[in-house]
Amino acid sequence: MQTGTKISLAGHGLLMTWVIFGAWFPSEPLPSNVQQVALISAEEFEKLSQQRKAPQVAPEPAPLNEPAEVQPAPEPAPQPDPEPEVSRPEPVARAEPDPQVAELPDAQPEPEVPDAPPPAAEEPEIAALVPRVRPEAAPRPVDRVAPEPVAPPEPDTRIDDVVQPEVAPDEGAETEQEVQEATAREAASDRIVTEENEGEDIAASAAPAVSKRPVTRPSRPKPQPAPDTQVTEAAQPAKPEEPAEPEPSGTSSAVADALAEALAGGADVEDPEPSGPPLTLGEKDALRVAVSQCWNVGSLSTDALKTTVVVAVSLAQDGRPDSGSIRMLSSTGGASSAAQQAFDAARRAIIRCGASGFQLPAEKYAQWRDIEMTFNPERMRIK
Amino acid sequence: MRNILAALLIGASALAGAGAAAAQTGPLRIEIDQGVIEPLPYAVPDFVPETPAAAEYAAEIARVIASDLSGTGLFREVPASAHISKVAAFDGPVKFSDWKAVNAQALITGAVSVTGNGLTVRFRGYDVFAEKELETALQFTGTTDGWRRMAHKVADAIYSEITGESGYFDSRVVYVSESGPKNDRRKRLAVMDYDGANVQYLTNSASIVLAPRFSPTGDRVLYTSYESGFPQIHVLDVGQVQRKVLSSGDGTMSFAPRFAPDGRTIVYSQTQGGNTDLFSMDINTGANTRLTSAPSIETAPSFSPDGSQIVFESDRSGSQQLYVMPAGGGEARRISFGEGRYGTPVWSPRGDMVAFTKQNKGRFHIGVMRTDGSEERLLTASFLDEGPTWAPNGRVIMFTRESQGSSGRALLYSVDITGRNLKPVKTPDGASDPSWSPLQK
Repeated sequence: MQTGTKISLAGHGLLMTWVIFGAWFPSEPLPSNVQQVALISAEEFEKLSQQRKAPQVAPEPAPLNEPAEVQPAPEPAPQPDPEPEVSRPEPVARAEPDPQVAELPDAQPEPEVPDAPPPAAEEPEIAALVPRVRPEAAPRPVDRVAPEPVAPPEPDTRIDDVVQPEVAPDEGAETEQEVQEATAREAASDRIVTEENEGEDIAASAAPAVSKRPVTRPSRPKPQPAPDTQVTEAAQPAKPEEPAEPEPSGTSSAVADALAEALAGGADVEDPEPSGPPLTLGEKDALRVAVSQCWNVGSLSTDALKTTVVVAVSLAQDGRPDSGSIRMLSSTGGASSAAQQAFDAARRAIIRCGASGFQLPAEKYAQWRDIEMTFNPERMRIK
Repeated sequence: MRNILAALLIGASALAGAGAAAAQTGPLRIEIDQGVIEPLPYAVPDFVPETPAAAEYAAEIARVIASDLSGTGLFREVPASAHISKVAAFDGPVKFSDWKAVNAQALITGAVSVTGNGLTVRFRGYDVFAEKELETALQFTGTTDGWRRMAHKVADAIYSEITGESGYFDSRVVYVSESGPKNDRRKRLAVMDYDGANVQYLTNSASIVLAPRFSPTGDRVLYTSYESGFPQIHVLDVGQVQRKVLSSGDGTMSFAPRFAPDGRTIVYSQTQGGNTDLFSMDINTGANTRLTSAPSIETAPSFSPDGSQIVFESDRSGSQQLYVMPAGGGEARRISFGEGRYGTPVWSPRGDMVAFTKQNKGRFHIGVMRTDGSEERLLTASFLDEGPTWAPNGRVIMFTRESQGSSGRALLYSVDITGRNLKPVKTPDGASDPSWSPLQK
C-alpha cells in the first residue's frame, strides 16, 4: 500500500470517526454575549454627558464647614425626644390596632340597629336560613311546583309564562324598537315543600324519612336453565334453527310483507296527510315542554290524578290550537267524572300555552296539524 | 348462501321498517307526564244586587266565596283591580277574551236579591279558556242571617265542579276555647264555622273540658269533662245545648270518646285498676263492650268510615304505636313502624288514610299514612302539634299547635294533605282539640 493511500485512508477514517462520534463529544458552545442597545440622539447623549459632568462641578466642598456649624445644632438635646419618638413607633404600631378598634366603635352603631339588614350580599344567606327560624305562620316560600325549579324573579318583573327581556326605548336607534316589559316565570320548586322537609336537599327528601313497613318478599320462581339458554340463543342472529320450522317461515313471511310494503311505497297507508320529514325529537320535546308548563294539576282531585287522558287537538298553521277541535279520545284509571276533570285541565293547558302559537317548524305543518296528547299524571302524584 | 340471503332480507326489511316509521302515519303523538302544581287563577266580581236591599250582601258574598276558594291554596283570585270586564247583569253575555287577558281561568258570577228577611243567591261558573259554562248554575234561598252559609255553599259548588272533590266550606268546627295563663287556663267548648266565623260557646269555663268530637250528622258533640272531679264522657246536643253524662262506673276514668259512623255507638277509653282499655257503648242503652284487654295503655280510638275497623294507639310493643283492629275487638295489627312515638290517629272520611301525631327527636309532627301504614308523610314540624281532624272531604287537616314558653298559647292550624297551605285558623282566643263536622245539610 502506498503511503499516500495510507494517509488518505487514515484521514478519511478520522473524518468518518469524527462525523459518527463527534456528536458524543460536544464542544462547549461559544459564549455569545448579547447586549441590548438603545439608540439615542446626539442631544440626549449631550444631556447625559452633562449630567455626568455635574458631579465634577461639585468639588467645592468648602461649605463643608457649615455642617460643622450645624453640629452644635444637633442640639441633640432634642434628640432624646426623637428617640422616644422612635421608640413610640412601636406603641404607635400598637396604636394601629386602636384605630381598628376605633373603627369597630364606628361599626358599633350596629347594636343600635339590631334588626338592621346586613349588607345586601348577605341577604340571600339569611333568606336561606330564615325558613328554619321564622315564625310558624310565615307563608310558604314558593307556591308553584314545576318540573324544573325556577329562582324567584326580580321584584319589578312581571310574572308570565314566557320569559322575555326588557326592551327600553333607545333614542339613538335608527329603527324604532317596540318597548317591551321584562317578564319572568314565577318562582317554582321541583317538589312540594312541606314544613317538615323544608330546607332539605332534594336528594334527601327523595329518601323516605318515613317509616317503611317491612314487606315480606314474595318467593320468586327460580329461573330454569333451559329457558335461559334459549334466551341467550335467541339473542344470536343464527336463531332460526331453534324453533325449527315455524320461525323461518314466519320471518320470511314478515320479511316478504315488509319488502312488499317498502316496495309499494306505503301505498297501503290510508292517511296521506302527514308527509315530508317528521318532527325531530328536539321539536317534539319543545312541544312537550311548552304544554307541560301550563298543565296545572294542583287543583285536580285524587281520582283525577290517577286518570290518564288522551286528547286530540288540531293546530292552525301559526301553531295556535283550534279550541273547538280539542276532544278527549280516551281515558284510563278513573271514573268518568275524574276523566272530565283531567280533560278540563289538559284542555286549559293546550289553550293557555298555545295562545300565542306553539313553536313548531312551519315546513312540517302536515306533521303537526293533528296531535294526540297523552296526559299522564302518574309522576305528578309523587311530587 | 341461504344465511347471507336471509341476512340481506332482514336488513332490507329493517330499512323498510325504519322508513315506514319515519314516515309518520296518523296524527303526531306525544306524552306529557310533567306538569305544574300551582293555584288556579279565578275571578269573582261582586255579585249583582237585584234589589236595593241586596247591595250590602252582594259584595260580601263574593268576598266570602273568594276567601273560601283562595284559602284552599288551590285557587288564586285575580284582584278586582285587574278586571277588564264588569258584570252588570247576571244574564248578560260574558266577554271571555277580557277574562283571558287577565289570565282568569275560572269566572264566577252571581246575583243577590232580598225580599223581606229572605235572601236568594244565584250564580254561574265559567271555564274561561274553554269558553263554556260550568255545570254549577244553582240558586240558594234562605234568610239574610244565613248569608255566609249561602256563600259557603256557592264556593262548595264551584270547588266541587273544578276539582272533582266535594267541598268543605259549609261545615263547622267544635273545639276547646282556651283563655288565661298557662298555669290557670280556663277551657270551654266552642263551635264555629270552619273559617273561624260565628263562634258560639257551648259550655262555661267552670270545669275542664277536653276532646270534643262531632257526631256523623253534626248535631251532637261528645266530650270529656272533669265536672265530677274525674274525667267523664258527656254528649251535648248542639242545637238545644242540652247535655247528659254517658259514662260510666264509679271511680273509673272515661275519656277519648268518638262516634261510630252509625251515630248510635261510641268507642272510648276507660281506666280501671291502673289499666286503660278500649270499650264501646250503645248510647241509647248504655251497654258497654270491652274491646281490648291488654295490660298496656290503649286509647284514642277512631272508626273507619264504614264502621268495620278501629285505629287506636297503644304502647303494647314498648313504645306508643298505631294499631288497627276489627270494630268488635279482636286481634290488632300494628301499622306504624317509624322512629318516634305515634298517637291520636284519625281515620280519613275517604277511608284511605290515617292522620296522626308523631313525636320524634324532640319535635312534633302531624302526618298521614295509608291505612296499612305505608306512604307515611309528615306534613308539619314544630314545638307541639297534635290532635288532627279531617275536613269532610278528606283533603284538609286541622290540628292544634302550641307555642313554646310560659306565655305560649294553643292555636288551630290547617294544612292540605300534601303538606301545602299551612296556615292558622282565626279564633278569638286560644283554641285546641278541634273536631270538624260533616258538611251541613
